[in-house]
Amino acid sequence: MGIEAAVLQLRRGDLDALSTLIARYQNRVYRYLLRLVRRPAEAEDLFQQTWIRVAEKIRSYDPARNFDAWLFTLARNLAFDHLRRVQPSSLDEPVDEDSSADTKLSRLAASDPGPHDQLLARERASHLAAALETLPVIYREVLSLRFEEEMKIEEIADVLATPLSTVKSRLRRGLEQIRQTLEANYGEVQ
Amino acid sequence: MSARDEHAEIREQLALFVAGALDTETEARIARHTASCSACAAQLERWQLISGGLRRLPTPQPSPSLIARTRAQVADRIAERAEQRQNRTVLILLVCFSWIVTIAGWPVFRFITGGVFSLLDIRFHQAWLLFAIFSGLTWLAGGSAAVLLSARRQQERRFAL
Repeated sequence: MGIEAAVLQLRRGDLDALSTLIARYQNRVYRYLLRLVRRPAEAEDLFQQTWIRVAEKIRSYDPARNFDAWLFTLARNLAFDHLRRVQPSSLDEPVDEDSSADTKLSRLAASDPGPHDQLLARERASHLAAALETLPVIYREVLSLRFEEEMKIEEIADVLATPLSTVKSRLRRGLEQIRQTLEANYGEVQ
Repeated sequence: MSARDEHAEIREQLALFVAGALDTETEARIARHTASCSACAAQLERWQLISGGLRRLPTPQPSPSLIARTRAQVADRIAERAEQRQNRTVLILLVCFSWIVTIAGWPVFRFITGGVFSLLDIRFHQAWLLFAIFSGLTWLAGGSAAVLLSARRQQERRFAL
């Protein structure tokens, strides 16, 4: 079943269609939420709220709009509401590394072939993930949407409800901060 | 533009270049420049390591139990919403029914109690009192039906759980 068909069926109250959508998007939505809030328990709670919100708001969804952008906008709004409530400072400033230590390295893995390469790749990935987590949420989210979700710049602007220029500037600053962090903590990027 | 300025300008845009956020003309210019400038090419390679690393970050997976819980919660919420809509519809129908009974029942009531001709000879002070009592009873019956219906549905839901 395609996305459009699933959305139409969900609008008619068909729960099987919702299962199709959850199966299709579960990893992406969960990853995005985890990148935003960083704590698995909070991401799980927001994941559930997101799908409940999808079921509630699906009648107001305009099929002419990109469903991915609509879905990620719902998830983003819930996550930012949550962050405003529980960690208002996280919307502006990078948090200390201890608070996210449990989510950093434990979920990282690499898929390079040899054991040595695998180890190196895992180490690089862990450095990168650690650097990503030190960024303010506004940079984390654009980097996640661009590089992990592979959204176009226009789609990201749609999700964030911001101009393209803002998305580009956040992308640039986010990447620059990651590079600075990597160079400051681990030397030259290589 | 001096050669030094050009290098600086190119390097400033490398982050957006690896993010695919530049127009095609600027991308082509950067590609041409880095093809002939090893220093800028080395900088580009570092940015590509970062962007490639971000693309390859492992995807955290939600647990199957989370998915199952989410489906169950959404199903509950949809059922709850459907029940609320149904209750609202039933309430509206009951109100309409009560009004219809109130309005249509009065001539019947008068016919039964006083005969057809008494319809033309209504004594207002008594008639309106009877009408108020009759309406009150009708609305009471409608309200009781709504309460009983709601209680029954709640009981059914409890048994279903």
